[in-house]
Amino acid sequence: MTTEVFGKHKWGMVVDVDRCTGCQACVLACQVENNVPLNTQERYERARGMAWIRVERYWEGEFPDVKARFIPILCQHCENAPCEPVCPVFATYHNPEGMNVQIYNRCVGTRYCANGCPYIVRFFNYWEPVWPESFRNHLNPDVTVRSRGIMEKCSFCMQRIRRGVRNAAKENRELEDGEIQTACQQACPTDALVFGDIDPDNNRTNPGRAYSMINDDRAYTLLPRLNTDPNVIYLAKVDPDREGGAGGH
Amino acid sequence: MKKLTRRQFMVLSGKAATGAVIFVACGLPERELIVQSPVELPEDLVRGEDAWFATTWGDMPGGDGLIVRVMEGRAKKVAGNPDFPVNAGKQSVRHDAALQLLYHPDRISRPLMRRSKGGALNPISWAEAEIEMINALEAAGGVTVVTNPLRGHLGLVAEQFAALYGGRHIAFDAVEQGVLHGAVDRVFGQSSLPDLDIGEAQAVLSFGADWLSTWVSPVSLSVKYGQFRGQGHRGYLVHVEPRMSMTAAAADLWIAPRPGTEGEVALSIAKEIIDHGWASSGDIGAFMENMPDGALDNYGASAVAERSGVPEERLKRAAEKLGTNRPALAFAGGSTGAHANGSFNLSAIYSLNYLLGSVGSKGGIRSNPASPLSGVPSSATGASLEEWENEIAQWRGGNVRTVIVRGADIVHGLPASVEVKGALRAVPKVIAFATVLDDTAAEADLVLPEKSFLETWGSDIPEPGPGYQTVAFQQPVVGPTVNFDEVGLVSDARGFGDVLLWASGDGLGVSSMEDLVRNASGQLFDLGRRSDSINAPDKRLFFNGALQRGGWWDNGATGDDLGGAAPNFMELGKEAKYSSTVPAEEGEEFHLIPFQSNALLDGRLASTPWAQQSPDPMSSAVWETWVEINKRVAEDLGIIEGDVLFIRSVNGEIEALAYPHPGVPPGVVGVPMGQGHSHGGRYAEGRGQNVMSILTDIKDSETGALAWAATKVRVSKSGLRRKVPKFEGTVEAFPTEPGVPVLVVGPDETAHEAEEANHHLHQQSIYGGKE
Repeated sequence: MTTEVFGKHKWGMVVDVDRCTGCQACVLACQVENNVPLNTQERYERARGMAWIRVERYWEGEFPDVKARFIPILCQHCENAPCEPVCPVFATYHNPEGMNVQIYNRCVGTRYCANGCPYIVRFFNYWEPVWPESFRNHLNPDVTVRSRGIMEKCSFCMQRIRRGVRNAAKENRELEDGEIQTACQQACPTDALVFGDIDPDNNRTNPGRAYSMINDDRAYTLLPRLNTDPNVIYLAKVDPDREGGAGGH
Repeated sequence: MKKLTRRQFMVLSGKAATGAVIFVACGLPERELIVQSPVELPEDLVRGEDAWFATTWGDMPGGDGLIVRVMEGRAKKVAGNPDFPVNAGKQSVRHDAALQLLYHPDRISRPLMRRSKGGALNPISWAEAEIEMINALEAAGGVTVVTNPLRGHLGLVAEQFAALYGGRHIAFDAVEQGVLHGAVDRVFGQSSLPDLDIGEAQAVLSFGADWLSTWVSPVSLSVKYGQFRGQGHRGYLVHVEPRMSMTAAAADLWIAPRPGTEGEVALSIAKEIIDHGWASSGDIGAFMENMPDGALDNYGASAVAERSGVPEERLKRAAEKLGTNRPALAFAGGSTGAHANGSFNLSAIYSLNYLLGSVGSKGGIRSNPASPLSGVPSSATGASLEEWENEIAQWRGGNVRTVIVRGADIVHGLPASVEVKGALRAVPKVIAFATVLDDTAAEADLVLPEKSFLETWGSDIPEPGPGYQTVAFQQPVVGPTVNFDEVGLVSDARGFGDVLLWASGDGLGVSSMEDLVRNASGQLFDLGRRSDSINAPDKRLFFNGALQRGGWWDNGATGDDLGGAAPNFMELGKEAKYSSTVPAEEGEEFHLIPFQSNALLDGRLASTPWAQQSPDPMSSAVWETWVEINKRVAEDLGIIEGDVLFIRSVNGEIEALAYPHPGVPPGVVGVPMGQGHSHGGRYAEGRGQNVMSILTDIKDSETGALAWAATKVRVSKSGLRRKVPKFEGTVEAFPTEPGVPVLVVGPDETAHEAEEANHHLHQQSIYGGKE
């Protein structure tokens, strides 16, 4: 019988920048799935909007030779995460499945982790999240609503991982590649986001989609010189008219 | 062995203890590395069982299949239906935001009525509302039913209901697609939109249509874009549009012509392809067959470059990409059709497909078949501005006694020149259906609370479909949110279709939308086809299957062959017209390009905070109305981000916050649609400005459609400045060196090679070549 085993997988994501159109579907899908508070106008004006995944836009050149480049940025779930050792209360730690995890009921809000994160993907709850009463109907019961003073970030939709693993165990079968989709991946219309098990041992006989992409010629990681060893791998944007040499942002 | 003294023992013990403490302190305690937490994370626990119901949202263009996660009777998440062939499990921000239409705190909870024009809206019972509605319908005089463009059974009911009362059904779409439908009909001989096989194409040439964001069926087209990029040989995208939209940003080559000259650009590309021998003689024949001799003589690259403002080299490069990469297809819409010569532009562009040999072929343009359900509309578009002017003249002239409005915010969306508000006041009885009071419903005499799409039955026939017959079914995924429930949510709403059927008596043969959908399922069963979607032994199981899968489709039932030859589009009006502008001293002159908001569209989702707070892809601006202006031009004019600018046309003035960026052509300003509502609930009211209100009434010469991209404006500073609410700047961006974070590689270049080249360049910039 297949049992629910924690620590059997190593989760990762591949982001194909060449497919990203900047449509924001991933951003809102994540917000809805994970009960991320509404970003009011005031929050934006005070530069305190929250987004576990965001799409950054960079300009390259001037009109008419101008390009807009989009890249989705989320927690990189680093193997050598700078955010982890700085937490005085072990609210953020690395779990056995390769994920950088935030324990909300340990967090005391020092924000050291946010200062330590070079990718700036951790968001602090400066205010108590507020929804009109009727909007509480659509909150996801699988995900904690974080209170004021708590740090939060992308969890790779851990609740979906748990549900997927449990369902596979319940049905006495192995988890299939692609069976678990993060909310951002599920939404992405161009298939720019691919989530999956990237543990080499688990991909020997039947390589999964994410695993088979991480060694692509276009694969790179963000800020590699920091040696954070991220579990989010990017595939470079292709410019067919580029004639070699430097480019990008 | 040397004897250990007491003193030596104490020293050694102390050192060992200190060492042990230091050693432990160097690492994390083992238990902290393994044990997760004394209290398990909520995310670790799986709470309750959820159910995913398949449905669709008949009001949205495209006709995407959806699944909705429901737990304990509450809808939690809207996602794409992975089974459904149109959107293949994918979604947009609009779909997620739609959930808030269901639980909106400002949902209209009960019927409202005003006793006299100009009086206040007061709650009444449904029984009173029913009497009012029947009296209005039975009174002498015409009836007009105004809706958004409706396909499927709701479209059928609206049409038949209007006919039953001797009235008229007229659809409103702020961004009219009538020019598009007209051009498709003219070029391919079918009025429903064709299937664009982008995923299999090697080159795509698109004009004006922001097809990755808002145009026609953006989710399905984005799915195809993903396939287009992911092919073994990556496809090449050329996009022509006078504003850098999301699609322009995704293009490999973006061409920004002078607005209104897109048709000429297309013909110069055609001439280049022919002159270079990149098309077969058969395809050239199909393209030129109906054209007068020498039709392209005036469209040489250099001449068109001068007229369109596009560098000649870019025109030639676009032609080469199209000519040398096959299959290739061309299509257009959006601002390209929103000119006095819109029909000419679109017809010329769609006709290019004959030259490219892509009509009816893989990687080209394929027809969509007729509806499998007899009489049920499979194509819908809004009436032209000319038709609206005629209709509103009837209202103003007292020839229409009752107007029923649903899903069409005409007060917000029609140009101010039509003066629709005054016309509505001249109609004795205006009945509006709405979930949240919008600007048009606020003018009604009777407002009826409408159920959202998540609470009602319906159907849709996607347009454009996937190339074969497809029907989407809409079902209630949650029970009606009726009366006061435990969280105070109030809605005594009814479905629009159900109310029309009730008001028809037996006139339409059925009593509810559910019956209509059941009957439709029965008709599909009776077709007796073995389809890929549902195979069931009887009608009951077939209906269950259709609801489970979100619809029915038969990928063997493809459309008729498109073929023949391009029409003589040269006889259409070729000249673009632009509005005049206010006097020169009132600011610099620009060409105004309004564009649909990625999240709010034309404003129909402005009531939902999720849509309001969704960053615009190009500017990341939210919650406001901003104006995109070229960065260099702004510098010359002394305009910086956040300056409140007056944007004046001869029809009026709005204010918008300046957002300069390098992707705007110098003579153009772009303003998003969707804001500037007087009503619309707490999240929409009084927010931003309505760009539609300053558009002039120039029309397409063939269809009479509003040329919404033909208005010129003057832009000047108000002297005020406010912070632009936007996501940009919330986190520090980190382009520390080229290639970080967006690494760009050339063809056949690896990421590693590009990183090395970038790093070398960075070192050179710092150390002047000495590493």
